[in-house]
Amino acid sequence: MAIQLPSVASKEKNMTIAEFHQSKRTVKIWDRFYPYFSVSIPVLVIALFTIYPVLYAVRISFYRYLLTKPKDHPFIGFMNYKEVITSYYFRNSLINTAIYTMAVVIGVTLFGLIVALLLNSKVKTANALKIIILLPWAIPAVVGGLIWKWILNSDFGILNGILYSLGLIKDYIPFLANPNLAKISLIMAAIWKEGPLAAIFFLAGLQLIPSELYEAARIDGGSSWKIFRFITLPLLRPIMLIVVIYETLTAILVFDLIYVLTGGGPGDSTSLISWFAYAEIFKNLNLGHGVALAVIIALITLVLILIYLRIIRSEE
Amino acid sequence: MGIQLQRKLGSGFINLVIIILIIYILGPFLWMAVASFQGENELLKHPPSIIPKNPTTDNYRYVFTGQVPTSYEVKGQLRSRISQEARLIAPALKNSFIVAIIVLVVNLLLGTPAAYSFARIKFRGKNIFYNFILASRLMPVMAVAIPYYVIIKNLKLLDTYWGLILIYCALTLPFTIWFLSLYISNIPRDMEDAAMVDGCTPFQALINIVAPLMAPGLVAASAFAFMTSYNEFLFARFITQSIKSQTGPVIIASISGNPDASYSLISVCITLGLIPPLILAITMRKWLTEGLSASITFR
Repeated sequence: MAIQLPSVASKEKNMTIAEFHQSKRTVKIWDRFYPYFSVSIPVLVIALFTIYPVLYAVRISFYRYLLTKPKDHPFIGFMNYKEVITSYYFRNSLINTAIYTMAVVIGVTLFGLIVALLLNSKVKTANALKIIILLPWAIPAVVGGLIWKWILNSDFGILNGILYSLGLIKDYIPFLANPNLAKISLIMAAIWKEGPLAAIFFLAGLQLIPSELYEAARIDGGSSWKIFRFITLPLLRPIMLIVVIYETLTAILVFDLIYVLTGGGPGDSTSLISWFAYAEIFKNLNLGHGVALAVIIALITLVLILIYLRIIRSEE
Repeated sequence: MGIQLQRKLGSGFINLVIIILIIYILGPFLWMAVASFQGENELLKHPPSIIPKNPTTDNYRYVFTGQVPTSYEVKGQLRSRISQEARLIAPALKNSFIVAIIVLVVNLLLGTPAAYSFARIKFRGKNIFYNFILASRLMPVMAVAIPYYVIIKNLKLLDTYWGLILIYCALTLPFTIWFLSLYISNIPRDMEDAAMVDGCTPFQALINIVAPLMAPGLVAASAFAFMTSYNEFLFARFITQSIKSQTGPVIIASISGNPDASYSLISVCITLGLIPPLILAITMRKWLTEGLSASITFR
């Protein structure tokens, strides 16, 4: 598709112009194609591990699927959902999840806020805190849980050892064998693991507050508490919302920590909803039940995320 | 006088809070390290000695060379508390390391161009792809653990590095792409526009102009990808079967569930497993903090 030039151009020159147009067109096609090319592999990999698993899970949840009888799996409609929801363990795990989530979200938010305020202050010792604050966040949750398990051990745990040496207790306390203490232990370990991230988030928020605001308030004679209450806290609101929602989701989905620290026990006192789903699949070998539970968990988190998006939008 | 005293008390209280927080954060790590240098009999005392009376490197020697610590030979009944499994920690950490490094490289090679396209180029279907990538991370892992196993099994990748790498890429790429595209949108685009007018392709603009400007973001994204892969447990437990591919967290969880394992050996495994993420968290502190801050304050 060489373009005819009006003048009597030499054959050679004609060719170069044709080539020039040709190459320009391939560049144009390539330019249009490039963004799809650049996102294609990530999208494909992510799609493989998203679409298929979701369809698979939803499908299995409508079948009676026992891992002991993998060949025989009849369609049973919503029976899995009905059986799971009406069971005692479901109610128990929901209550446990609610208690755990509330305690962890409040604990992590307070921890994060206090640490961030300290890190943002001019106190010299806070520098040491700055260096180590990320450590619990950076390690595997399983390992974090194990460390706490040895610390809290009722026969030779170091926490019992310290309390005993200080004369605070006469007998060793079975932290993980008592239902209430096990819950508290789990919550303390979770705050230890999750708190640092919240602290960094709050710190980022604090650093966005212009220092003139503080100076003006101080000149007007505001006390530290009043400055915190009427300037810092309101301006941290958007960050606080993100932290609360993020920590709520993390708490509802917690699994690794329970797996190593309490194994859902003693009894079923730390059996949270994700642990219940795991136990249905790998202990009771009832894949249908476990997957139905997982679908329920997914729906709960989806609702939370929709609420979150609505709040974020109304904030803006 | 009164105000000064009040101030002194106030700063004393703040310092006390900081010290308590430091003990809470650091104590567990220190205790694991201390315990790994103690003999079993000292750890099982009532109460255990916080500062080791006879510190020993025997536990480490056993894990690396298989030489049984002397303290176990003396006490006959304790000898069984030696677990062969503890010796798997070194190859397991090697597996973790290889997998995490490959995932990191894949994230940079595939994630950066994708993030650039999302941040800078207009193309049809962009929002659908972008929202799909973000939404993919909202699935609870428990729901997809079994299907993931089925996928990896059908691809004949059970108990291989590639099975783990594939899953971890699917887990980390959404965050990398989201994070880097946020980062790129916060870089002024004048220079790229000028380069494009001069006939630069988007890819050339990314490599020559944007990449150097987004270096801190790339460092942070790499660290996140590495940590996510290095720390992952649930999927690794499902799709690995032997030390050929089992990762650090899998072996550590398995050893500590072994009633035969000695507590000092478990401490050794935990301490060894924690060294890479702790070094990363301390040396990369600035980038990690900046990256995390950016992820919550950028719009």
